[in-house]
Amino acid sequence: MKKNRGRVKASFRDPSGFLFTRAGKLYRQINHHYQDEYDLLMSSGLYAALVNADLLIPHEEVDIEAENPETAYKIIAPEIVPFISYPYEWCFSQLSDAATLTLEIQKRAMDFGMSLKDSSAYNIAFRNGLPVLIDSLSFERYREGKPWVPYRQFCQHFLAPLALAAYKDIRLTQLSRVYIDGIPLDLASRLLPWRTRFNFNLMTHIHLHAAAQSKYADQEIDKEQIRRGMSKTALAGLIHSLDGSIKRLKWAPGDSAWADYTDFHSYSDSAFHHKKEIVARFIERTKPDTVWDLGANVGVFSRIASEAGAQTVAFDFDVSAVEGNYRACVDLREERVLPLVMDLTNPSPDIGWSHAERDSLVRRGPADIVMALALIHHLAISNNVPLRNVADFLHQIARWLIIEFIPKEDSQVKKLLATREDIFPLYNPQGFTDAFQSRFTIHEEIEIHDTKRILYLMEAKANS
Amino acid sequence: MENIHLAFKFIASLLSSPFSRGDAYLDPGSGSYLLQLLLAGLLGSLVVIRASWDKIKGFFSKRSNEEAETETDEEE
Repeated sequence: MKKNRGRVKASFRDPSGFLFTRAGKLYRQINHHYQDEYDLLMSSGLYAALVNADLLIPHEEVDIEAENPETAYKIIAPEIVPFISYPYEWCFSQLSDAATLTLEIQKRAMDFGMSLKDSSAYNIAFRNGLPVLIDSLSFERYREGKPWVPYRQFCQHFLAPLALAAYKDIRLTQLSRVYIDGIPLDLASRLLPWRTRFNFNLMTHIHLHAAAQSKYADQEIDKEQIRRGMSKTALAGLIHSLDGSIKRLKWAPGDSAWADYTDFHSYSDSAFHHKKEIVARFIERTKPDTVWDLGANVGVFSRIASEAGAQTVAFDFDVSAVEGNYRACVDLREERVLPLVMDLTNPSPDIGWSHAERDSLVRRGPADIVMALALIHHLAISNNVPLRNVADFLHQIARWLIIEFIPKEDSQVKKLLATREDIFPLYNPQGFTDAFQSRFTIHEEIEIHDTKRILYLMEAKANS
Repeated sequence: MENIHLAFKFIASLLSSPFSRGDAYLDPGSGSYLLQLLLAGLLGSLVVIRASWDKIKGFFSKRSNEEAETETDEEE
């Protein structure tokens, strides 16, 4: 077998090991280099403690040929997370919960004589509705005196975007998409309001931290100080301080969480119930394992899919709606719904080294069913995307499609056309089915009671 | 020029310090490292103060609980 053939392209930075796929399954090779640390993780009881508390993804050691036998110590098969998401797709509370999880893991690791050696937000995924650490090789033996290696990374990946969201604007969390190793602290420091300098936590971990980075980048350091080191008590104090910093940062969704909600009630109760019935029937007919609900808002229709047993990702452009949806999922322990922020007019691209570290939305598909309810008018009219192009995009991400067509006489479309010229002569049921039939086979089409809206069940045609 | 030389010497000293090992693939950043060392005394003291405060609070809440229990016993 040729070595490194199945190696996951994003997995190259840490010499401790790497991910690879073989016959459609995901494995992690642990290198000899990491043998002592891995053995300590397993023998100290830390692994069991973290897995039992649902903080770390479980894995099994497997006996298969190594991907790179010269460096291999062991091969493990981690439990698979249904959908990998990224910090720039998370709402405020998801990022905050991921940060708290990271610090909780660090605290427990210290109890077992270990410490985190990285604190990347990309090491966290959402499983059963809650964050979990997915990198089993993130630990190292704790050495008395050693400062916390991932301090800078933690501040860049978690504290800076949360502080910017809380004190400046929630949209600044999108900076994580530009700065793949987290928001530079000097930038965060410049963007944060002056009054945050009177906040001890932010003054220390952002402003002073940024100043220290700049000052010590080219100055002589007192070596005596380095020799004195950092006691375990001081390290515990640092983690406690970061934990307090994260927990004190708050952001509340605005009224927009309910802005689109009016869409559900722009028609009668009987229409709303009929729409739910049709969606439930389409899902029952196709029995999906995975559903992506595009423009899910607070996830009313996503829940029809999740209650039918599908792992459901509820995407919305509105961060307030996603925040409300996530909080509801946590409160109600809805384990199969993952709310995420996604602007469909500019969906997550492939980014990072060689365009291959973080996957685009398309690369993470296709889903068994894509639902596009009360969405088409936003794409076709607000964003001028021709129906044919909408069909092409959805064809890339869907095996089956449940899509709602909302005609021009509907109040929601009238609103969009009220302030602009109607340059959409093909925006009608015939133009819609003509555009979609090039990519999909239409199995069912049902008009929703008391409306002119039509729900379609379509199956993606094989690529020609 | 001398500054650059000293900076390199400092980074080299960090890498060869007793805390560093070859497997630390993440660059902790010299500023981030030193800020922690500067804060170490303060953060450590806060932990000790918090622990002592919890003990004092625990002592008094235990006493007030005991007193409350005694009072209840007396009432009975």
